[in-house]
Amino acid sequence: MRQTRKLSSQELLKKNVLDAGLCTGCGACVNLCPYQVIYRDRTVQLHSCDLSDGKCYAFCPRSSTDLSVLRKSLFPQADVTPEIGVVKGYYLSRAADSNLRERAQHGGTITALMELALAEGLIETAIVSSSERQVNVPVAIKSKDDLLQNSQSRFTVSPTVATFHEIAAENIAKIGVVATPCQALALAKIKTYTDKDASLKKDKLKLVVGLFCGWTLARDKFTELLKMNNIDESAVVGMEIPAGKGILEIYTPQGNRTIPMKEVENCIREACRYCVDSTAEYADVSVGAARFGNDWEEMRKWNQLIVRTEAGSDLIDLAVARGVLEIKEAPSEILKELKKAALEKKKVAMKNIVAKSGRENNLLYLNSNDSLIKGLLKRSGRKK
Amino acid sequence: MIKKNPVNIIITGVGGQGNVLASRVLAGMLVSAGYFVTIGETFGMSQRGGSVMSHLRISRQSVLSPQIPGGRADIIIALEPVEALRVLTKYGNPQTVILANEREVYPIGVITGELNYPSSQIIKEKFDKYSAKNWFIDATSAAVKLGNPILSNIIMVGALSATKQLPIDRRAFQREIKKDMTADKQKINLAAFDAGVGMI
Amino acid sequence: MSNLLSPANKVVLYMGNEAIARGALEAGVNVACGYPGTPSSEVVESLSKVTTERNLYVEWSTNEKVALEVAAAASFASLRSLCVMKQNGVNVASDFLLHLTASGTRGGLVLVTCEDPGALSSVNEGESRYFARMLEIPLLEPATFQEAKDMTKWAFELSEKIHNVVMLRSVTRLSHASGNVICGRLPAKNSKAHFDYSGSMMDPLRGPVVSTPVVPKHTIQQKKLAETANLFEKILCNYYEGPKKPELLVITSSACYLYSREAIGMLGLQKRVGILKLGSTWPLPPQLLKKHLKAAGKVLIVEEVLSFLEENVKTLYAGCAKEIGVKAFYGKNDGTIPSVGELNPDIVAAALGKIFRIKYKPVADDYAHAMQEIEKIIPLRQQTFCAGCPHRASYWNINAALKLDGRAGIVCGDIGCYTLGALTPANGFNTVRTSHSMGSGTGIASGFAKLDAFGLKNPILSVCGDSTFYHAAIPALINARHNNANLTMIVLDNSGTAMTGFQPHPGLCSGASGETLPAIDIAEIARGIGAEVAICDPFDLEKTTAQLTTFMEKADTVKVLILRQICALSPEKKGKKKYLMKVNEELCRGEECGCNRLCTRIFRCPALVWDKVKKKAVVDEVICAGCGVCYSICPQKAITKTEAPPQ
Repeated sequence: MRQTRKLSSQELLKKNVLDAGLCTGCGACVNLCPYQVIYRDRTVQLHSCDLSDGKCYAFCPRSSTDLSVLRKSLFPQADVTPEIGVVKGYYLSRAADSNLRERAQHGGTITALMELALAEGLIETAIVSSSERQVNVPVAIKSKDDLLQNSQSRFTVSPTVATFHEIAAENIAKIGVVATPCQALALAKIKTYTDKDASLKKDKLKLVVGLFCGWTLARDKFTELLKMNNIDESAVVGMEIPAGKGILEIYTPQGNRTIPMKEVENCIREACRYCVDSTAEYADVSVGAARFGNDWEEMRKWNQLIVRTEAGSDLIDLAVARGVLEIKEAPSEILKELKKAALEKKKVAMKNIVAKSGRENNLLYLNSNDSLIKGLLKRSGRKK
Repeated sequence: MIKKNPVNIIITGVGGQGNVLASRVLAGMLVSAGYFVTIGETFGMSQRGGSVMSHLRISRQSVLSPQIPGGRADIIIALEPVEALRVLTKYGNPQTVILANEREVYPIGVITGELNYPSSQIIKEKFDKYSAKNWFIDATSAAVKLGNPILSNIIMVGALSATKQLPIDRRAFQREIKKDMTADKQKINLAAFDAGVGMI
Repeated sequence: MSNLLSPANKVVLYMGNEAIARGALEAGVNVACGYPGTPSSEVVESLSKVTTERNLYVEWSTNEKVALEVAAAASFASLRSLCVMKQNGVNVASDFLLHLTASGTRGGLVLVTCEDPGALSSVNEGESRYFARMLEIPLLEPATFQEAKDMTKWAFELSEKIHNVVMLRSVTRLSHASGNVICGRLPAKNSKAHFDYSGSMMDPLRGPVVSTPVVPKHTIQQKKLAETANLFEKILCNYYEGPKKPELLVITSSACYLYSREAIGMLGLQKRVGILKLGSTWPLPPQLLKKHLKAAGKVLIVEEVLSFLEENVKTLYAGCAKEIGVKAFYGKNDGTIPSVGELNPDIVAAALGKIFRIKYKPVADDYAHAMQEIEKIIPLRQQTFCAGCPHRASYWNINAALKLDGRAGIVCGDIGCYTLGALTPANGFNTVRTSHSMGSGTGIASGFAKLDAFGLKNPILSVCGDSTFYHAAIPALINARHNNANLTMIVLDNSGTAMTGFQPHPGLCSGASGETLPAIDIAEIARGIGAEVAICDPFDLEKTTAQLTTFMEKADTVKVLILRQICALSPEKKGKKKYLMKVNEELCRGEECGCNRLCTRIFRCPALVWDKVKKKAVVDEVICAGCGVCYSICPQKAITKTEAPPQ
């Protein structure tokens, strides 16, 4: 009988994630070792590594994951909604500081929360995406001013988890991370990783603030699109998708430009097509734009806020008590709309996953025995 | 006088260990003593981290093929232990004598873990079993003590002279290095030669 | 004092190449030049050390063609000149050589070609004996060190006699072997250069030096060659040794003569086999051949590389077969002698054994068997870049840039130590995808870069050494620029012709004999051609990789990245460590997830050793060159570097 060699973790990563088009570019496999790096928004394997049971594959949000197990250990007592995960509380929120709101993309909730966490010593370093440079890179932030510099969304992925690994290796004890759903999932896998590896600094991860996310853009394709539209990429300072207009607004010092969403959608990263999470279900709190309804101009100044864990709940209470965050109950139709949109993303993703694997019992990185996934499969199947 | 006509000597090692100088110095002494000496060598690309060999043939009456035929080595001088074994398998016979340096230079395949390097015990065992006589000395450590590991080649020449396998001695060595070495170099090389003599 | 200047009658141990140099000195050579290449380099190199004493001009020319042109000028001015190259070099020089042999020469001009059967230090085992036949010039092949000297000296006389180039062919096993030589007299130094072009075109000594009128000049050349054949009947380097009526006649030349003599001894066939040893292999002396062919029934031709001698002997035999009877021929054509690789006494003994049905055993069977068993425990020692070699760092950067770029860039290689970059992953580099002649990498890259119209979209790169750049890569770079071939040329500039022993090249400010010369800057040349140029230190990994990825992404232009770092074996660096390297065992993660032995498994410097017991990397201080690059690759910063004390 022919012996087939067991694939190394790196080979699994290549076969099941990178070559399969599932890599989110989150950076979970980067800065753990010299073998994987992020270049632009691509994960590159520089040299071969023959180890099995490696952390690179274990932490990857697209390596096979039993989400029910993960949920049990992260949210021991909470109920789970099939659409947006664990919800301990759901609000509309915004920073109390109007200056901050001015400069932030939406309600400034994230900046306010991270600022507070830093000020209160809950964390020593915050990892956020930087809009400083041409490429969207994560940066570690230790002060308020730096935070404000980085409070604009760019819709491209940044290897935030790689920065977590890097910072965690330093002499810093408490780290907070602003993470997209895939990054939050990777961080959740890190948090629940059972191997007792001394170099793994998972206990340093004190706070994960999740971002709502529909998709991200593949850098090469988007660069090409900007070029075709004569937009200087290095001059872009921010971007926005206003509700219901079907356009992408691009902010530059020379003025605002727009590109039709149809064109932008062609630039969506392939991995995002297989993502079932739009609200960062594995974060402590999740924050998103309130991108609904007819009253866009009013709504865009607020955030949607989902509180998921005990730690998240404590932070929000503190933020309100300190007066840095304003919260209000969200109208029920907004939650309904959010759930509808989230479920739609899940259904499309499931359809795409099944189409890719060719079989309903092979869901790539998802476990088909997970009751939530089973339910989803049924719904997406029904829709077909 | 040489014990046999011709005497076939192979000096072996790894590129960069100073094989060529050792063979030249040895040959120079023997030419001065009136023998015909033929040295066969390869330089260039083959030196880059690879095994190197100098074939020396000492004859009373003529030049010979610069390549020694298989199984015909009388003396093997190895600057690196496994190279002694490599040469022995191709050129050795039960009458061969071996003078080898103990210090290993690992091949890249060994460094990467793909290949195994035999223990010095095993190497010594093979020497004992398949050669007439052998000396295993730590020339590299002695050379490092003298200030430069490259001197292990001259230490081996000194050791060779002490084994009395060839008509060479300290005076011949001194005469030979006078030809093209500066006074400083002569001094350190003579010290290396003496160190080699002391190790037999 | 160089031993090249030893007094007459002194017995000296000369390397074959030194013997050739000494022969040239005894002939009163005035100009010597060439391009370095193993196994030829020591001829010019040893002459470069006696220029003052012997009134000699020595230069390392830019390439072999230019070298032969420089040598030819001396000959036209009635001086004696020597031009030296390896087998590949004759191909480079051949265009000019074809015209030079047609125009003829004046002062003695000897072309020495040192060839490399078995390609011990070459990328081919090509040979140039066929050039002698094709160009109708004499070919001499010395077999011993004494002959190497004596025949070189005589070759100058022969050249002047026939007014043409004489080719002298050596091989690695002669050029790089050493043996006893009895020195001859060094002549007085009183040569004067004078170029006379006042005579008629047909006047070989006073007319303009041209190949026209072609047919009359060709006729004269052939007549001279026929006279040479006659002369070869009686020269001392052609001789027979053995019984009067041998069963087998071995016809051989060069180092093969020594192998044949030894092999006959090994099999105890001295009374049954004779050797006709030829020092001149073109044109063949017909009477000498005929006489010895007649005496034997069987003929074995022993030669290396192609069956040049065998073909020519057989052609000659065809003309006299009726007269001397039927013979059985053995050699390369019937497979008695292997058709590839270099020979040695064992191979010739095996050939003789086949003919005489003798089984030759150097050692008893049980000993031989034991040796076979030992062979199994001996680890293979593959070639690799030296500790501290800039090429290891350069390829490390190139590999990283190719991976980061992610478009499967193709690297075309060239000739030098860095050709090792073409070897398999087992040697750690596995980067270079083509490797041919000097400068060809960039030419091929220029061609690849124009194939995008046919769907070949990969980024195209070439690597090229500094000496190679001057030798033959400049026209290729011009071609790339002029034809808008979007490529990145990486010049691996280690400041000298490293593989052959640090001969200077036009980029350096000193000449063959140490004289001060103007240096010609690679960056300036490349800029002049219109390329975008950057210079990096390959030991600065981060900067070099970033520069290379930037260059690869730039479309529609030619980029030249010069990676400048001196060779670890160069006289100014060898034995002098810049840093003392150490592994902090507490930090070293060894085989664990997070490192998995990056330094010993992937970087593969001979000075980094894996301690299997401790499971830690160790620096072998004896081998370490102190370049400090491993400090930069260690993910744990477990490899530390401290400035080494000045030595």
